Amino acid sequence: MHYPEAISKLIESMSKLPGVGPKTAERLAFYIANKMKEEDVINFAKALISAKRDLMECTICGNITDKNPCPICQDKTRDRTIIAVVEENKDLIAMEKMKEYRGKYHVLNGVISPINGIGPQDINIPSLIERLKDDEIKEVILATNTTIEGESTAMYIAKLLEKTDIRVTRIARGLPVGGGLEYADEVTLLRAIEGRREIK
Amino acid sequence: MTRMKLKQLNLQNFRNYEKLTIHFNKNINIFIGNNAQGKTTLLESIYFLAISKSHKTYRDKELIKFGSLFSKIACELIKDDSKIKLEIIISPQGKKVLINEIEKRKISEYIGTFNVVIFAPEDLEIVKGDPANRRKFIDVEIGQISPIYIYHLNQYNRILKQRNEYLKQVVNNRIDYNYLDIVTKQLANHGSWITQSRNLFIQKLNKYANNLHQYISNFVEHLTITYYSNYALETNEITPEAIFSLYRNNYQRDLIKGNTQLGIQRDDMHFLVNGINVSDFGSQGQQRTTALAIKLSLIEFIKNETHYYPIVLLDDVLSELDDVRQTQLLNSISDKVQTFVTTTNLSGINDELIKAADVFLIDNAMILKREGDSNG
Ligand SMILES: Nc1ncnc2c1ncn2[C@@H]1O[C@H](COP(=O)(O)OP(=O)(O)OP(=O)(O)O)[C@@H](O)[C@H]1O
Ligand SMILES: [Mg+2]
Ligand SMILES: [Zn+2]
Repeated sequence: MHYPEAISKLIESMSKLPGVGPKTAERLAFYIANKMKEEDVINFAKALISAKRDLMECTICGNITDKNPCPICQDKTRDRTIIAVVEENKDLIAMEKMKEYRGKYHVLNGVISPINGIGPQDINIPSLIERLKDDEIKEVILATNTTIEGESTAMYIAKLLEKTDIRVTRIARGLPVGGGLEYADEVTLLRAIEGRREIK
Repeated sequence: MTRMKLKQLNLQNFRNYEKLTIHFNKNINIFIGNNAQGKTTLLESIYFLAISKSHKTYRDKELIKFGSLFSKIACELIKDDSKIKLEIIISPQGKKVLINEIEKRKISEYIGTFNVVIFAPEDLEIVKGDPANRRKFIDVEIGQISPIYIYHLNQYNRILKQRNEYLKQVVNNRIDYNYLDIVTKQLANHGSWITQSRNLFIQKLNKYANNLHQYISNFVEHLTITYYSNYALETNEITPEAIFSLYRNNYQRDLIKGNTQLGIQRDDMHFLVNGINVSDFGSQGQQRTTALAIKLSLIEFIKNETHYYPIVLLDDVLSELDDVRQTQLLNSISDKVQTFVTTTNLSGINDELIKAADVFLIDNAMILKREGDSNG
């Protein structure tokens, strides 16, 4: 059976989204065509276009923004001497929710991963190195994930900064707050031990 | 006394079982059935609950009953005085593992609660098969008692994949030694840890297996198990630094081959009977004796590492063993180890064992307890 052209175009577009297979795409397409109110569909379409047209990567930090440079980069009250390096925009948002961190960010937009064809030049590492030539920067916090690739990427950046005066730190990983030792699984405990720090 | 017992098993859409609930009271449970009725499948489900993998296939999907969307298996375990419920749901998208109704995100958080040793016709492959069989054996058995081993192994394999992919891509390109050094360092860290654990494991296995093998062979044969680490370092030299420098010396070779030449993915172990490698030169009987000795030694190994005897699964192997071997096996099990035995018929099976057992009949995925065995 053939779909009307409008439906098959919609299915094709939907299938381009991550995690959406042909079945789901079909279901969503028919839902939009049959069930959604016209007003909602128009808002949806506008939101899609504006997400693409009005948003860009901040040329300084890689953050997704509608103003370039982004509000964080423009914020004069934030500490310009510290940069937290994160993998994705959502990690930046998670850090911001904490409301404690007052430094700046650098969003890599990925991690080094040869199996996905991503090398150091394909993520925002060159722009980070460029940015760090600024004398004001005293510390880089490597806040990539604790996955293998997050770890390699952090080590890679640390290595590039080896010969500079910049302090390079890695976020701690380990025990969840409020959880007793006896409730932690062995791997979490191991990682907490590996990441131990001196207190005296 | 510390003890572990399987009290109940529930299968849903697991191979030929649509729905099964079965309770166990005895230490010894014998399942009799014709071919293709579901004997191996029953033991496979118990094994799967312990190890979260099948001993027969690495494709979990195959376990889902034909035409079903998912499979669910669960068991109730008694460990000392506490009840533990294990549950695994297998779907084409993957599997979900739960302990006491709580989902465990990492397999390494799941494995280790329930330990088993299976004796199956495939055991001979550990001795006769290629090195991959022996590595799998080592990994499963260390993994059973050490979640951290599984963690290191998973990390190692992931880094190896990245490193190999990088070596493959880089050939006609400029080499980023900074990146190569980093993945190599990560590989060396985990590789060192894994090599040490494998070394220790094989030392212990050697000790237990040696005694058992002597006994089974009527004291005419002597078994030695040796570890062939691909790094080929002395025990006291196995450090991340030493391994890293081995890798560094091999950079050119790796780059030319486009693949990591060195590492635990090339390890092996050798079984020497009276000094001769049984994998290559042993007779059928010697190979069988070796396989049996290795499996038997796991019972003591697991007991010593975890303080609990594992549950023993004997798939169609009992009637294949001669008297001496059966006796040795039964001595190892005696009354302390809960055991599940499958067979097509009772002939050739030790009478003492049958007397002490609950006997079940399996017919086309239906299981009935044979009544009239008036033994308590
Ligand atoms: N995914 C599946 N769905 C349905 N049936 C399956 C599936 N996988 C295997 N089977 C069937 O399950 C049946 C039981 O197999 P099993 O290996 O447990 O038999 P068995 O009793 O051990 O026989 P044998 O004595 O020959 O070793 C077989 O008929 C097999 O074809
Ligand atoms: Mg079978
Ligand atoms: Zn910015």
